[in-house]
Order: sequence, then C-alpha cells, then structure tokens
Amino acid sequence: MTMPELGKRSRNAVWRRQFLLQGCWNYEGMQNVGFAYAILPALREFYANRPEEALKAVKRHLEFFNTQPAMGALILGASVRLEQRVAAGEADPRAIGTFKVGLMGSLGAIGDSFFWGALRPMASVAGALLALLHPLLGIAALLLIYNGGHLTLRRRGFVAGMEGPEGVVGWLKRVSLSIRTDDRKLLAAILAGAYAGVFAGRFFAQGGGAPHALAALLLAAAAVHLFSVLFRKAVSPSEILSFLLFVGVLILWR
Amino acid sequence: MAWRFLLAILIGGVCYLDRTAACQLMLHRPLVVATLMGAVFGNMAAGAQVGVVLELIFLARLPVGASIPPDDTGAAVFGGSAAAIASSSIGLDAGSFTAVLLLSVVVAEAGKAADRFVRKVNVRIARITAESVDRGDVKAVEHGLLAGLTLFAVTGMLLALVFSGAGVAVSKEVLPRFGPASRVSFSILLPALPLLGAASVYSCSRTERTAAVFFLTMATVFCATVLFRWPV
Repeated sequence: MTMPELGKRSRNAVWRRQFLLQGCWNYEGMQNVGFAYAILPALREFYANRPEEALKAVKRHLEFFNTQPAMGALILGASVRLEQRVAAGEADPRAIGTFKVGLMGSLGAIGDSFFWGALRPMASVAGALLALLHPLLGIAALLLIYNGGHLTLRRRGFVAGMEGPEGVVGWLKRVSLSIRTDDRKLLAAILAGAYAGVFAGRFFAQGGGAPHALAALLLAAAAVHLFSVLFRKAVSPSEILSFLLFVGVLILWR
Repeated sequence: MAWRFLLAILIGGVCYLDRTAACQLMLHRPLVVATLMGAVFGNMAAGAQVGVVLELIFLARLPVGASIPPDDTGAAVFGGSAAAIASSSIGLDAGSFTAVLLLSVVVAEAGKAADRFVRKVNVRIARITAESVDRGDVKAVEHGLLAGLTLFAVTGMLLALVFSGAGVAVSKEVLPRFGPASRVSFSILLPALPLLGAASVYSCSRTERTAAVFFLTMATVFCATVLFRWPV
C-alpha cells in the first residue's frame, strides 16, 4: 500500500482546527471531541475511499484526551503522521492510542509549567506595569509577550509533530522548555517585585520620614510573604479576598 | 444604555470563548476585559485601574487538569463596568475602588460554577457525538464541537450580561448608600490587594533563585518611588 499524501489544504485545516481543541471540553473525555474534530480533515484525506476505516480512525480519536492546549499541537501533528503510516499499512493503529496516552500527561505537565506557571504570569505582570503608563500599552504588551511565545511554540510544535514521533523527541530536546520556564519565572519574579514596589510606594509611604518608609517597606514585604505562605498552604485567592471582604463589612458595621 | 449592554454581551462572548473553548490568546485576561468594559461603560481608564489589580490576583490558581480556576474574566466584566459607572456618578474614590475589587470575588466564584455547569452539559454532547459516530455519522464530530462552542459562547454572553448588569447596579444603587466617611474607612484594605496580586505571581514563579530577586527588586523600586517620586 502506498503512503497517502496530506494536501496543503488539509494540513492547514488541521492547523486551524487545533485552536478549537477545547471547544467541547467535558469532564468525561475532556478534549476528545476537539481532538477528533482537529484531525478529521487529515483522516478524510487518508481514508478517502475507505469509509469503514475512516470511521474506526475517528473512533480512535474520540478516546479520552487531555493535555495543555498549546502542547496539543505537537501531539496532533505527530498523530497525523502516525495515521498516515497506519493508512499505508506501515503501523499498528493501537500505536496511536499508546503514543497519545504516553505523551499527553508529560507534555501537559511541561506545558502547564511553562505556559500557565511562567509565560502567562510574566506577560500579565509586564502588561499590568505598562498599563500604569497607558492602558492600551499594557494590553499590547500582555498580548504580544504571551502570544509571541505561545504561537511560535504552537507552530513549531505542530511542524515538529508532523515529522513523526522522532521529530517530537528531537524538538523537545532542542526547545529545552525547562530552561525557558526557569528564565521566564525569574523575569516574572523581577517584574512582580517591581509591581509590588510601585504599589507599596504609592500606598504606604505617603508622607513621613525614612523610618516611616522603612517600616512601610517591611510591612509590605511581610504582607507579600504572608500571602505567598497562604498560597503554599492551598488557601485560594478567593478565600483571602472573601476574608478581606468580611473584614470590610465589619469595618462598615463599626 | 441598551447598546452598551449589547456591546458588553458581544465582547463577553468573544472573551469567554477565548478563555477555554478557542485559541487562548489571552483576550480573556482581566486587564483586557476590564479596560474594554470600562470603555463600553464610559471610562476606559477606570476599567483599566481595576484590570491592573485583578490581572494578577487569581494567577496563583492554574487551570491544570480538570481543575477550574475562579472566573477572573467575569470579575473583570463586573469590575470594569462598576468602576466606569462609579467614576461618572459618585467618583471612583479609594473606598469604592476597594469595594468593587472585593465584591468581584463573588462574581469570580459564580462564574466558576457556571463554567463547571457548561463542562457537565458538554459530557452529554460528547456522549451523543460518540453514539452518532458509532452509527456511522462522522460529521457528528463537527456538529458536537459546534454545539460545545455554542454553549460556551452563549453562556459567556449571558454571564457578561449578568455581571455587567451587577456592576452597574452596584455602582448606581449600593455604593452611593455609603457616605464618604464609610468609604474612606473601607479603603484601608486597598493596599493589600495589589500585594496579593504580586504574591500570586511570586508564588507561581517560585524557584530557588526568585525569592531574593523578587524582594530585592521590590525594595529597589519602592525606594525609587519614594525618593524620586516616580510619576506612576
């Protein structure tokens, strides 16, 4: 059996559709419908005259799937390549499920740490700081910093995935996300420190001499430390805000 | 006022879609949403002020696995609209600003509950999709995804309407009931809120190197702000 080709149109359709990976996110299959939807144009091309096999392929991709959405592009690209091999009779269909299950957890953890734990906080705090100068400047900074990294990694991950599982491994080595994560976390911490310093200066040190300012700085630093300890103890921001709201009501009551 | 709510619904629909179902381009972040809501309800700068603080507060809760973080998009819809309306009526003083930010936690939790409900309904959509595919209808995948997207969008629009309405109502009906003296005493809590946001970023970006860097930068910028009176 010859290897079926994937046309440019179908490849582009798969790329566009991966942005809707979470379009039907649910507690049972999580991103399963989104994944099947994204890979569908490729399956239609690979199994053009074989409806029974096309149906089996779609069912394969309706199995449970969940990963960080941006990292999903990498798995999707590699799954397309594997489906191509299965359609040509060069690979076992079960290999696709094994590959997806094997990769979604680890890539999800890497992606969560990079995108949600490093890149997004860095972009958010940069945006918030610049918004103090002008709101639109802050929004532009937030969107550009986040999407510059996000869209580039999505695109490169998808292209690497399309080279097959071997391409995935090579790309993950080259891109060294753990180093990038650490760098962005450091940048986020620097920017967050600046953010805390700006607001502490605004609120605490209005008037008064050097001792007053020093006391204000120490108080602000202690507050940040206290909040971060509470976060570490799994207290949520909502619980802290609710407590502050309760205190506010007590103040009004008095 | 009706066209303002219409615009809020449209913006809310797009932002809520971006939040989970489509793209994740960060159009749903509080800084973006609160600024837009502020512009829709007449004062972009007031909305942005709320957005700057709300942007960081909920970052400590990551959308990992099946966990759903508080709805900071909804909080921003509420906060942006409330701040804009308050600024044009009683004025956005520190007390009103604090009250708007603290009340947004109620909205964030309500939005989270709505998000959970949508994902539960999506279970049914996914099951119907799988059953249709079992019967040989491959197109059901596309219909299923469209149904899920529609559900996310419609819920987002409804939440945007309810939360912006709540913001307007709070600014017009609740805040004016408290006199200036009460609002001043309420504002004592305000300094804690941006520090909570900074702690949120600090805790999710914590590594061996970051603690010293964070507090050193904080002290440097604080001194610069105080000594040189930076115009921030």
